[in-house]
Amino acid sequence: MNPSASPDGDAPAETKPGRHAGWTRMKTPAAVGAIAAFVLWAHLGSGVPAFHAGVSPEPGWKQFNADYGIDYFGDDGQFVRAVQNGYNLVFYTYKYAPRFTRRKAGDSANSCSSCHTAEDLAYAFVNSDRFDPKLGMRVSFEDRVRRCYAGAMDGFAPTIYDPAVRDIRLLARAVAHHLQLGEGAIRKAG
Amino acid sequence: MSTFTGKLARVVLVVLASAGVYLVATHQHGQRESIRKAEVTLTPGCADKLRRYGLASGERYQSPYVLHKTGARITARGYSDEDVRAIQRGCNIIDDTQGRLAGDVGHERWNTTRFIRGTQLSCDHCHQSIGDKQDARGNPLKGSLSLGASWAMADMYDRFTGLLLPFELRQMQCYINSSNGYKPNISDDLIRDVTAYSRFLSVALDYKIGNHHDEQGVDEIPASATPKQGDDYVRGEALYKQKCARCHGPQAFGTEADGRVVAPALAGPNSWNAQSRNYFYYVSTILPGFICRNMPPGQENTLPNQECRDIAYYISNLPRPAGDRQGPVVALSHQVMMKVLPPLLRLTAADRSGGVPVERESGRDR
Repeated sequence: MNPSASPDGDAPAETKPGRHAGWTRMKTPAAVGAIAAFVLWAHLGSGVPAFHAGVSPEPGWKQFNADYGIDYFGDDGQFVRAVQNGYNLVFYTYKYAPRFTRRKAGDSANSCSSCHTAEDLAYAFVNSDRFDPKLGMRVSFEDRVRRCYAGAMDGFAPTIYDPAVRDIRLLARAVAHHLQLGEGAIRKAG
Repeated sequence: MSTFTGKLARVVLVVLASAGVYLVATHQHGQRESIRKAEVTLTPGCADKLRRYGLASGERYQSPYVLHKTGARITARGYSDEDVRAIQRGCNIIDDTQGRLAGDVGHERWNTTRFIRGTQLSCDHCHQSIGDKQDARGNPLKGSLSLGASWAMADMYDRFTGLLLPFELRQMQCYINSSNGYKPNISDDLIRDVTAYSRFLSVALDYKIGNHHDEQGVDEIPASATPKQGDDYVRGEALYKQKCARCHGPQAFGTEADGRVVAPALAGPNSWNAQSRNYFYYVSTILPGFICRNMPPGQENTLPNQECRDIAYYISNLPRPAGDRQGPVVALSHQVMMKVLPPLLRLTAADRSGGVPVERESGRDR
């Protein structure tokens, strides 16, 4: 039963006119305003990557793009943006995957690139899904990336669907295409 | 006292239930591990294909196909025994998804039938020649849905889903829509073994990552590739009866002989559902492309574009399972059609053929 309804049920009774009624009138516009302000702040002023449709350009991306011919896949397609995000994840892991690593900007080995080059990843990709005698199981590229986050990066394993995994795979795929690698390609010594 | 006993009983019950779940999970895990280690009995098609492509465990792999075609010796990383078995199982799954040639479907095909509602569909029906269709001279055929080429081009933008579609997710879509079933887990051996086989095909045929090949996917045929006569149901029906009904049956419900699928269902409960890309009303260019490039077997590329579109249009008007976007009313209407139509059509066919209601025979007569 609604306590503010009139006894005969015709209309709600106005119990406290004045300041309370004014607030009631302002509540919806205030909520809408707050949401709009948050959206504007998130997209324009926050600087948080998760709120951007585009990928933040980090130092070295243009050179990387030119070196590995990423433009082959288009100027600004979904694939290229994912590869760019992969670049950010590999070279600035502490900044772009803070949920999955405890490493900070000041740490010595704070990104995937501390151990791997982009070409390492490409070769690892075309040689993945193979049996690993140490682990006693067949290990996919995604499994390897997740293990790196949890182990070498001193953090936590993302799910297999997470962009923090997927975009590194796409970066490896793009580089593998540039190097024209096929399945099981063997890296030449030197 | 009784309250304490009750609480204790509840705790014991929960502990026992948890222990039960743990034991079942451990048992299943062990069973899967033993299947992974077990020798694989290949289907005749897989035995032939994998032998021709020289699959064997070893430090290095060289494709006999590439050597024969180009004279080049391309050396790739070899496979362990575990990898070889995964590739063999993947090939078996593509060739015999329903496990009709398997002694034990559960063990030899990772319970594939759990993920497919129908009793006929096999991956090989679309991905013909076990995902690697070639002409008599060993050249891959355009628009033949090659699995090796698909692997090389995986992860690219998919215009139907709007996703950068990984190979594994594409397989899951096949189970849901083309097989009208349910999706396996992305890490299921079922998915991973098919990926292993597809990756092996890509090295055997020397596909490079990210390169497009004509044999990847379907060579789509839009209306603009026809003389603009429009897609015609009546023409399609006549063509179907003339060119397709002999194998696929008069109602397109597929035909079987000696426990083997002669030609798969194109309509009815064993067919792909209305959310599949094969469904003309969802994507009007794929089924015509598939028909033109892959049908009839042995006479590929003989049908004109217009005829392929007419046949595809006709087939797509036959009743089939609803997809996940059609809603319950459409699903119900399709189910009713699939239940009611076959007996009615058989009855009329029996009347015409003097009381011999045999589906395949009536198809031939027409």
